[in-house]
Amino acid sequence: MKRSMRLAVKAKWGEIEKIRNKSSRFLESHGLTSDSVQALTMVISELIENSMKYGKFTPQKNKVTVDIHVDEDIVIAEIINPIDETAYKHLKELDKTIQWIRGYQDPFQAYAERLKTVSKKPLSDEESGLGLTRIAYEGKAILDFFLGEDDLLNVSAVANF
Amino acid sequence: MGKRESFVSNLLRIEVQEDNDSIVAYWSGKSVDRNPGKFITPILVGLLNKSSDLKKQIILDFQQLDYMNSSTITPVIKILERAKRGKAQVTVLYKKLLKWQDLSFSALEIFQTRDKRVEIKGLQ
Repeated sequence: MKRSMRLAVKAKWGEIEKIRNKSSRFLESHGLTSDSVQALTMVISELIENSMKYGKFTPQKNKVTVDIHVDEDIVIAEIINPIDETAYKHLKELDKTIQWIRGYQDPFQAYAERLKTVSKKPLSDEESGLGLTRIAYEGKAILDFFLGEDDLLNVSAVANF
Repeated sequence: MGKRESFVSNLLRIEVQEDNDSIVAYWSGKSVDRNPGKFITPILVGLLNKSSDLKKQIILDFQQLDYMNSSTITPVIKILERAKRGKAQVTVLYKKLLKWQDLSFSALEIFQTRDKRVEIKGLQ
């Protein structure tokens, strides 16, 4: 059975649900428990949502690539999307947030801090900012990223199950 | 039998049932919109206003919800925070046996008040 799956989809919000369903089926086919499948599918969904929100897509570079690899007891999800120099500010934020989460021994503490901060924002503020901490807490995943050739941003989550 | 109203956005349905002493919002399906707050916030604000006018308890019942993205949590916690600072009585119900619900909703216990006026309750 293949241990890896690669999906490349157009950067359209409606595609996320299709990827969620395909990812779930792939993870189920490797015998993961339904709790693990739920958690990992959430991790993948949150990362794809971020890639679609912050990626810089053009008619030539208009896709998000999702790589999922299942090993003995870990799952690695990598989400790749194009960016340009206007997204560098977001990269700094991404780096800061990942470092900030790593500063907590228990990711729940980081998540609880984020919940408190976000709950005090105005109702009209649509920014969530909970996704990465939720991945660390509920998905028990370790986040990382790098900027590859051609301004392709690769964000990964490694989760034990 | 009280009043019942349905709200639907994409894959998410919220059914609001109003009785003599409570207003229950039953959530079902999946909340996966890019900005779910646009749909959810006015409903929750409406519940909060109505509950304070009519002195009714609000119950947010998530037991039948299959999935929500993190952007869905945002309007919910903003309402819990406002309820905490005000006088409304709000109870969040979730299914404890579903691991994802247990993780997602037990984290909201940070908004619970000591007198349980705002309460997060996991049901078996």
